[in-house]
Amino acid sequence: MPSPQPAMRRREVLYAVGGALVLALGGGTYVLASEEDVRRAGNRPDGRPRVPPNQYLLKALRPMGGSEGDPSPGAWRLKVSGEVEQPFEMTFAELLAMPQVQQTCDVHCVTKWTVLDSHWTGVRIADLAARAKVKPTARHVVFEAAEGYTSNVLLAEALAPNALLAHRYEGNPLPRPHGPPVRALVPDLYFWKSAKWLTGIRFTAGDQPGFWEVRGYNNHADPWKEERYA
Amino acid sequence: MPEAPEGGKRQARRWSPRPLLRSLHRDAGYFAVGLTLVYALSGLAVNHIAEWDPNFRNYEATRELGPVPGDDDTASRAVLASFGITTAPREVYRAAPDDLEILFDHRTLHVNTVTGHVLDEGQKPRFLLRVANWLHLNRGKKQWTYIADAYAVGLLFLAISGMFMLPGKKGLLGRGALMVLAGIAIPAIYVGLSGGP
Repeated sequence: MPSPQPAMRRREVLYAVGGALVLALGGGTYVLASEEDVRRAGNRPDGRPRVPPNQYLLKALRPMGGSEGDPSPGAWRLKVSGEVEQPFEMTFAELLAMPQVQQTCDVHCVTKWTVLDSHWTGVRIADLAARAKVKPTARHVVFEAAEGYTSNVLLAEALAPNALLAHRYEGNPLPRPHGPPVRALVPDLYFWKSAKWLTGIRFTAGDQPGFWEVRGYNNHADPWKEERYA
Repeated sequence: MPEAPEGGKRQARRWSPRPLLRSLHRDAGYFAVGLTLVYALSGLAVNHIAEWDPNFRNYEATRELGPVPGDDDTASRAVLASFGITTAPREVYRAAPDDLEILFDHRTLHVNTVTGHVLDEGQKPRFLLRVANWLHLNRGKKQWTYIADAYAVGLLFLAISGMFMLPGKKGLLGRGALMVLAGIAIPAIYVGLSGGP
């Protein structure tokens, strides 16, 4: 007795599944690419392209690890020290009592992801520098964070209007992976410079490379120059 | 009874370092298994840190409780009761008149006491990977630096002793040499093609 003829041979099924996959992936890629192209378009006010070279877009920050600090706002203290006339310590409540800035900006990670239009609330580092009365000898800033993490930034870049001590992200207090209660935010440099679980800001006359900078990462970290590694 | 060698004298065997090398390589290999698992698994996990959090599972959820009046203590007790949490919080912090934060070891409840909107966010540690990453990244410092150095020296010993274990065509004078060169070529070619540091 002849075996019944299958409605579709195995090869035809494989062709059909393969074709559907190609169409789905191709179409999906086209949709994603067109969406990404729109967001990538345009330049910043300073003339540089909005998305630095060789970065891909994400919709939210990735955690990226780090040595967790104490997330407690009640226990948090910030020490402002170094080349200043009036070093001081401040509590979280005192930080909240300072003029608050709400800012929308793009951030760029050295591992090649970029998040556009992220929303932050915090205090300008320039305001803290003014309170501490930074001496003319200061040229650099060292962010000090939990477990001895540090990152170094040029003074001019730390005092830029978009450089903050941030305590809110996307309308909420900083979530656990992003360094609560307060982190640095220097959006025009690769994001490792924006130290999480911040505990101190030290103004220095000489450059003092930080945790990653002495481990082969670039001392300056400009995303538009792709300053990823030393 | 075995026959005496010709001339009545035992022929002296030629000394070879290979048996000793094999023993040392074998024992060092067994000894390295634990640390190799730690470093290899953590290496895989941390290599892809841009795609996932190798230490924690992070979560966020929201819940609407309705207004939560009262002082910090009263409000936090009401919130904990709504969530069925019996653990005492580490801290209850009033960040703003309508913003109460209730903190636990790996969890925070951000409460808007006026609207009753609660953001429940936290992290669940990936136990084994977190420990492996902590060791791999030498976060603990202290004596672990010496252990990690000793392990690295041990790997060098395994690699070098491994090259001399086999005599003949499959050893370093034959197929082994080709495999060693192929292994060295991988990073060399990659650096060449990528432009290097």
